[in-house]
Amino acid sequence: MTSLSLKVLVSAVTLGLSAGAFAAGAHGGGHHGEEGGHAADGHHSAGSIGQPGKAEDVVRTVDITMYDNYYEPEVIDVSQGETVRIRVTNQGALVHEFNIGTAAMHQAHQKEMMMMVEHGVLLGDRIDHDMMNMDMGNGHTMKHDDPNSVLLEPGQSGEIIWTFSQQSSLEFACNVPGHYQAGMYGEIDI
Amino acid sequence: MKVLALFVLACLLSWTAQAGEYNLTVDRVMIDTGEFTKSGIGYNGSSPGPVLRFKEGEDVTIHVTNNLDVSTSIHWHGLVLPFQMDGVPGISFDGIEPGETFTYRFPIVQNGTYWFHSHSGFQEPDGAYGAIIIEPEGREPFRFDREYVVQLTDKHPHSGDRILRNLKMSADYYNRQQQTVGDFFSDVADQGFWSTLQDRLMWGDMRMMKADIEDVQGFVGLINGQSPEQNWTGLFEPGERIRLRFINSSAMTYFDVRIPGLEMTVVEADGNYVQPVTVDEFRIGVAETYDVIVRPREDRAYTIFAESMGRSGYARGTLATAAGMSAEVPELRPAPLLTMADMGGHSGMDHSGMDHGDMPGNDSSMTMDHSGMDMSGSTMVMDHAAMGHAMPEADDNPFYADGSGLIPEAADGGRFLAYTDLRAQRPLYEEREPTREIELRLTGNMERYVWSINGVKYEDADPIRLQYGERVRFKFVNETMMTHPMHLHGMWSILDVGQGKWNPIKHVISVAPATTVYMETEVDAPGEWAFHCHLSYHAASGMFRKVIVEGGPDSVADGEAEAVDGQEGEA
Repeated sequence: MTSLSLKVLVSAVTLGLSAGAFAAGAHGGGHHGEEGGHAADGHHSAGSIGQPGKAEDVVRTVDITMYDNYYEPEVIDVSQGETVRIRVTNQGALVHEFNIGTAAMHQAHQKEMMMMVEHGVLLGDRIDHDMMNMDMGNGHTMKHDDPNSVLLEPGQSGEIIWTFSQQSSLEFACNVPGHYQAGMYGEIDI
Repeated sequence: MKVLALFVLACLLSWTAQAGEYNLTVDRVMIDTGEFTKSGIGYNGSSPGPVLRFKEGEDVTIHVTNNLDVSTSIHWHGLVLPFQMDGVPGISFDGIEPGETFTYRFPIVQNGTYWFHSHSGFQEPDGAYGAIIIEPEGREPFRFDREYVVQLTDKHPHSGDRILRNLKMSADYYNRQQQTVGDFFSDVADQGFWSTLQDRLMWGDMRMMKADIEDVQGFVGLINGQSPEQNWTGLFEPGERIRLRFINSSAMTYFDVRIPGLEMTVVEADGNYVQPVTVDEFRIGVAETYDVIVRPREDRAYTIFAESMGRSGYARGTLATAAGMSAEVPELRPAPLLTMADMGGHSGMDHSGMDHGDMPGNDSSMTMDHSGMDMSGSTMVMDHAAMGHAMPEADDNPFYADGSGLIPEAADGGRFLAYTDLRAQRPLYEEREPTREIELRLTGNMERYVWSINGVKYEDADPIRLQYGERVRFKFVNETMMTHPMHLHGMWSILDVGQGKWNPIKHVISVAPATTVYMETEVDAPGEWAFHCHLSYHAASGMFRKVIVEGGPDSVADGEAEAVDGQEGEA
């Protein structure tokens, strides 16, 4: 039974990756040599949503608070090329994510987050880290360590340093199943 | 911009209604369904009555004037309030006599979508119902640009009194989907003579028929008082997020609801927030409510399609970008048939003498509808665990018997909401061990149309006595082949879906045939309350109890103050 469900899990992860959203990148952990594949979803090259920034380039800090199930504020204004530190605090009672991407990327990432729920990694108000970091064969894990996102339990804080480029239809969003659909997203105005 | 202006206007209108004082008249009205016109009962001159919009924290005063020539009452379904304000004649108060005005006064200590209806005779099926919206004190845990109430009902051309008389005379009076002699011969062709005969004999023994899913057929499904043909329409602009507040105010009918082309994110069940879950279709039991968020992005019409669980009728409405638009209306899916699994709880069946192995003209296994159950072992054991592997799994859904004919499937192969998908967003109570368990067997005799709890009708039963401050675990064991939406007044029903503190908080718990369902109740409301199946003709036929909560602050002298203590600050 265990080995069967693992097999299903692994193939599901692989499927998720071939869907190819950027946010999916680090979910599979050891996917070496596939970096080129991430841009192959036909919608966006990795560069267009911006890239991880360096601490020394940070010009300002934006604070975002996550509640059940919404952000405050719901709009972030940035300039093209600006490097911003985004400090995120989860004041809700549930696990929430802060993820920078396009609507299409968020949609792809929601499938992976659904898998994390189905496999007991995401448990409403906590994250099962052992389960998340478990090697599912081929070096795959469900680790959630993309540079464009943080996944936080209630009370936790995290930060992202991000350099924004010219892409103008970015959203920040929580892709925990149902949360985006309930309205947990905000606009990034560049 | 126009949307914003509309929204502001809507807000202003709703604020003007926050005065806290409301007037309702109970009137004889004409109800025109497009298919038939009948005399009925309504509020402020129409059925359904007005949408009452309250604000959490408000103290409401509602003057109800009875313009009928018989006694009436209003029950505020799902509202936590002093028991004298609960509106059940004979339990909470004496009722409202013709010409009299009764004034309800109570604090609003919760928010969400609820409804109100008469608790006298069959005034509710005759049209005496309306919707309640309670705006929260704080921000909602979701976003929406506009909202609509979608209140479903099963309007029947016969009056409630007449329907019950007919059911008592012949329980299958309104069952149009009975299997016929023609079905018998076509089943003989498919399954062989003996198999078909045995099948019919077994069901006859139980005084039930496979098609006994809806005891009252021949209704027209209405949305906000409008028939499929009259097509209630809610307008939107593409990209908007719309909150639909579904309320099932039917006398007898469960609906399976979908909006082809849109997924629905369920954010509230029975007035309480749930962790959002996105589905393609959901089943709404009688008296339940579900709030969903939809986001139509295209400039077109979408059909809201609500098929009755037994597929004998439907309600239909439309979401559109302009009045007069419509979208395709799907065909009704084939009617499900109950299976052997649905009679698992039926006691007193002894078929052990039947030797299926020797039946002539039979390949020694009896194939039941939907189940594929292997009956070749000469005794029939109604043991679900043992049958488990041979039967289709109830999709890990313990709220239907394995192999039940009632297990829903989404029309387009998508996701169908299950009770197990519901998680409280904000638990109202600390999780704790129940202080005791009370078993309630849901019982009845279909042929005589007698419905009961633990085999005893309401008239013959002692009240259920609870102690203030205890946490009671109710065990519902459904021994009938009907689905019963059980409604406890005055206190929340915490449905056990196996999620501990995240178990959803409801006011109606639907119990499918041959299943056992648990709910827990924090006994925090002193006084006397009703507890019953919300199918109108089942409640009236005896599936009903009085609950007495003993003890509590100041005993029952001042119910109003106590109810505030019980809930304030937790909602």
